[in-house]
Amino acid sequence: MRVLIVEDELRLADNLAAALRDGPGFAVDCAADGLAGDEMAGYRCYDLIVLDLMLPKLNGLGLLRRLRARRDPTPVLILTAKEGKAAIIELLNAGADDYLAKPFDLGELMARAKALIRRGKGAAHPTLTALGLEVNTLEQTVQRSGVAVDLSPTEYRILEYLIHHPRRIFSKRELLEHLYDYNWEHHSNVIEAHVSNLRRKLEAAQPGAEPVIETMRGRGYRLAPEPHE
Amino acid sequence: MTRMRKSIAFRLIAAVLAVELTSSLLVAVLSLAYERHIHFRAFDTMLRGRTDSVLGAVQDAEDAEDNVMLDQADLHLPSEDIYEVYDERGRLLGRSPQWPAAADGQSMTALTPAQLTSTPNDSISHAKLLGRHYRLLLRHGSRIVDPDEPGGHKLRKVTVLYGAPTERVWSDIRSAVAFYAAGSILLLAITGPLIAWLLHRGLEPLRQLAALAARVSVNNWQFSPPESARTTAELAPLTEALESVLNRLEEAFVQQRTFVSDAAHELKTAVAVTKSSLQLLTLRKRTAPEYQAGLERCVTDVERLEELVGKMLALARVESGHRNGVSAPSICDIAACLRSAEAELGTIAALRHVDVHIAGQSPSSLLVPLSAEDCSLLVSNLLLNALQHSPPESAVQLRLSLVLVSDGLSVLLTVEDQGEGIEAAALPHVFDRFYRGDASRARSTGGAGLGLAIAKAIVERAGGSIELASVVGKGTKVTVLLPQAQAARSQTPSA
Repeated sequence: MRVLIVEDELRLADNLAAALRDGPGFAVDCAADGLAGDEMAGYRCYDLIVLDLMLPKLNGLGLLRRLRARRDPTPVLILTAKEGKAAIIELLNAGADDYLAKPFDLGELMARAKALIRRGKGAAHPTLTALGLEVNTLEQTVQRSGVAVDLSPTEYRILEYLIHHPRRIFSKRELLEHLYDYNWEHHSNVIEAHVSNLRRKLEAAQPGAEPVIETMRGRGYRLAPEPHE
Repeated sequence: MTRMRKSIAFRLIAAVLAVELTSSLLVAVLSLAYERHIHFRAFDTMLRGRTDSVLGAVQDAEDAEDNVMLDQADLHLPSEDIYEVYDERGRLLGRSPQWPAAADGQSMTALTPAQLTSTPNDSISHAKLLGRHYRLLLRHGSRIVDPDEPGGHKLRKVTVLYGAPTERVWSDIRSAVAFYAAGSILLLAITGPLIAWLLHRGLEPLRQLAALAARVSVNNWQFSPPESARTTAELAPLTEALESVLNRLEEAFVQQRTFVSDAAHELKTAVAVTKSSLQLLTLRKRTAPEYQAGLERCVTDVERLEELVGKMLALARVESGHRNGVSAPSICDIAACLRSAEAELGTIAALRHVDVHIAGQSPSSLLVPLSAEDCSLLVSNLLLNALQHSPPESAVQLRLSLVLVSDGLSVLLTVEDQGEGIEAAALPHVFDRFYRGDASRARSTGGAGLGLAIAKAIVERAGGSIELASVVGKGTKVTVLLPQAQAARSQTPSA
């Protein structure tokens, strides 16, 4: 999952980014003003935008309106230090999904971020299941038919991303965009290597079973259809 | 406990009624005088008529001396009237039957018959006779005796004293005056409530104004005075004053509220940074060096918070002093302040590779009406602001001089940097509290947007002025003009 933080208080942005990378293992990018945030959000590679309200150049509400005007469905979590219900109502009506008042609790912020991403992808429960797989997004653990599978952080992130939409095909480019921030080199063969390792580990957990991840030649990857379909 | 309040309406009604009462008293007095005059004139005319009747009753006595006599047989006069008739020699010819005093020889007047005949004609007198008040008319007449007889034709003079009681006249006068008085009192009784009602109606715009003004509150500054108040000559000044006071109050209130909200925003953000730094450390177990680095970051965050709080308190202190009109009569040397600020901020300047220097021949000592604390706060804020907006390898120039302005000598301080400058649109706001020309940049340099606001508050408190001129891409120049303070008495004034 990849998160965009738009916050002009650089120390706060650093802390948020560190927490989101450390905790849920998200890829995080930061923008220090509204216009930069708008430009980065325009790439549409984010699963969540954490948006401060008081921003230079373009304020948070303006950015939110632009985002929703071009039909960008990315969940938006607002950080605000302003008081008053009216402002919150205005924000939610403008298309915000949630808000947190400063000073906030880092744990709460991460929980809300995870919930928003989950909801954004149509899942209600933090544990996702498909094909005998059970992905616990809170503990970041994976079980196949009751057997724990030990995955590297990147392998886990790929599986988590795929399992949100079991039958959709994800291109390597999309996976790259959503799993890595700008601090990483973009090489699609990185994804290939990780997917290959992931397949091997899932195979080892239940030898002889159908492969979970299918490769659609030239198009990308997807989770295999359920056996009875 | 309600104190008795003075009511304008009550006082107006009382005043009008008092005036009415006075005028009705006046009417009563005047009508008394007038009625008396009219009635007595008629009375006198009547007296004259009756006197003439009496005169007509004087007949030739047909005696040898050709005397006259009073023949009362044909006289029909009111029974209460009294009269006496004398001839020219003062002899009583006759008197009314109701006047029996003749037995005692008492006359109707205290005058002797001789005096009577010499009293001028038509004279009026008053007397209290028989227990009643009489008005007496004295009239001289004449009678020709034997006009047909040859050699006769004698003229006999007669004096008639006729009196009629005045009670009826007085009672007529009294009833007429009583009518006027009653009418006045009735008018008073009618106009009193009428005036009260009219006043109540007339004061309606005032009540409307008060009702609308009472609706104004901290949360609702909307004040639209009623048209009736605006178009009333007496209320228009009050309405305008109310409007302008409310507008100023609202402005001040909104400004204050904006400051509080901005301050809260800044504090919350600073606290959010510190809190998140600490929570980040506790997310998982870390190595000792990681904790070390994290704690150092936390200390930096807390220091920023401390600086922000310090600046807000400084601003509050300077501004509250300004508001209370408390101007400390302290004096300090701005030249020394400038030198120490230059030395103090020298390390920061060196780190940023900015050259800070005092230009020109700076006076060794210049006194300004500021406390040492405020003076160094002012100078260091201006210098720090210039440093924060200076790119590396640029210069900040400080200049201090004594200039002649319209009302005497002033101290002129300029701080000039070669920074990126401020856009014209932002210039009017640079002294606003928490205003940042470019928020992200100012945040990265640690400014809270209070430095210039504090500087302005200090300068204005000392009765000076501060201006900022800027050219984008060239730099910014802050100009401070402060009144020169007179040296304390202990020092001998030089020059």
